[in-house]
Amino acid sequence: MEKNYYVCTGCGMLCDDIEVESEKNIVNKVHTACRVGVAHMKEGRESAVFRVDDKPVDEATAISEAAAILKNAKNPLIFGLGTSTNETQKLAIELARKTSATLDDTSSFCLGRVVEALLQNKFKVCTLDDVRNKADVTIFWGADPSDSHPRHLSKHSYFPRGTEKQRGWEEERTAIAIDVRKSHTAKICGNYFFQIPPGGDAEFIDALIAGLSGKLPKTSYNFPPKRILELANILKGAKFGVVFVGLGLVYSLENLEPLIRLMDALNEKANFHLIPMVGHYNMRGFNENLFEETGHVNSVKFEDGTVKHGPEYSIVESLKAKTVDAALIIGSDPLSSLPRSVAKNLLEIPVISLDPCETLTSRRAKVYINTAISGVESGGSATRMDGVKVNFKPVVETTRLSDEAVLKKIMEAL
Amino acid sequence: MDFGSFLKAPEIKVKVITYRDIFQDKAMIENRFGDDYRDRSAVIKLDPADLKQLSVKKGDTVVLKNSFGTIVVRAEESGYEPSHRGIAYMPNSPWSNMLVSDETGGTGIPKFKDISATVTSAKGEKVTEIGF
Ligand code: SF4
Repeated sequence: MEKNYYVCTGCGMLCDDIEVESEKNIVNKVHTACRVGVAHMKEGRESAVFRVDDKPVDEATAISEAAAILKNAKNPLIFGLGTSTNETQKLAIELARKTSATLDDTSSFCLGRVVEALLQNKFKVCTLDDVRNKADVTIFWGADPSDSHPRHLSKHSYFPRGTEKQRGWEEERTAIAIDVRKSHTAKICGNYFFQIPPGGDAEFIDALIAGLSGKLPKTSYNFPPKRILELANILKGAKFGVVFVGLGLVYSLENLEPLIRLMDALNEKANFHLIPMVGHYNMRGFNENLFEETGHVNSVKFEDGTVKHGPEYSIVESLKAKTVDAALIIGSDPLSSLPRSVAKNLLEIPVISLDPCETLTSRRAKVYINTAISGVESGGSATRMDGVKVNFKPVVETTRLSDEAVLKKIMEAL
Repeated sequence: MDFGSFLKAPEIKVKVITYRDIFQDKAMIENRFGDDYRDRSAVIKLDPADLKQLSVKKGDTVVLKNSFGTIVVRAEESGYEPSHRGIAYMPNSPWSNMLVSDETGGTGIPKFKDISATVTSAKGEKVTEIGF
């Protein structure tokens, strides 16, 4: 019997081995996916909603109102797109050009810096398939995939028998967690869990680099030097090492210089790659698409045929400084995910929210359109956390428009 | 007369570390306005000795406060060893985000994982409802 596999767009892993039972366009059963993936694939139920000023309207009214908001704005913000396909993201970039908009995504306040450095070839990289087949030493640094990317360890990074790792985790793999908290992943790492104090990452990196070259590793928080030397020894022996970089590490570093130094030091002694633990299924796609167009991964402003870039064009700084006068938010909920002290400024400008589900942002939006769930109810392509391109088709059909279709209609109406 | 109410309720200072939780993520996907998501988000996990100092039992509500916001959430024992007095853990959510500073030094990156707040007993007050 030929099997029909689907892709899960529940997180940046884009697992491509999902089987689904559906009837009358409702997903009843999901096999192989994790808890989060199952919930994600069963999410879609509602019929189409178009709303302006909290009142139900028809599609044409919602689209023309959205177009009017963008037309009247001097500097609209286009934000989100981490759960949109590459095709949608490219359209959004075009729309941003056309409307002289500020364009940003969540990466400006999470992993954007790491993806940018990686696209500038500052790190040696590899794919998750390489990890499954070859990796002998993996470091989860400020990352807890057991909670954020639930199938990471079982599908790629620790438990599988890869082509060159037939004896598996019991004999051939060492998993290391460096974190401020004994996460579920840290528990799996057992004795190879290194608990550091909040904000202690940069010092730990310095100590580890010292340890790698045989010097006495020192930290102001007196981390036992013996343990750091023990860690350095394991790393030196790695034939195929990987560092999975999570938000815990990125938020603790003022800039990426210590991480770049560590990766260089590791590669003097051994063979180490880096993969960012991208959360949203296509955040990396957004970064790559924008990079290709503008040379930047986020925080840009289009103006008279030029592109400006800098933190002042990030969502956080533009809301703080109140430089944007309208917002088109695609598949994101900044009222939930940003500090309230910053997000509240969104309430002062007209917001268009395109999202498959009701969120704090959609409830306060001037225009709300509930779009199809990307990857479940509409197809396209995306870029996995490790840069691999993945194509997917919809699992079920819906009467709701995809965000791509909505953007097309808004552009026609402009 | 309740003389107890004249005594100042004990207060402690904590550094809050936020994290992600798979059960909470699933609850959010199913219904971000539902009870399950609120119950799994509006929680702070404290060291047992800190709970004792606050005269708060696990499951009671506490008030978290700093210059950016005030929220009422449920207190739990962290279950982490060794003792971590003064450090508390919270799943990342709109609740924890109410306490995050808007100070970014112009970088565009708020200090999501560097939250300081005071904790006191909420004396039975209900968990904060999220809305704008
Ligand atoms: S790990 Fe991520 S992509 Fe894979 S099934 Fe779970 S949510 Fe979906």
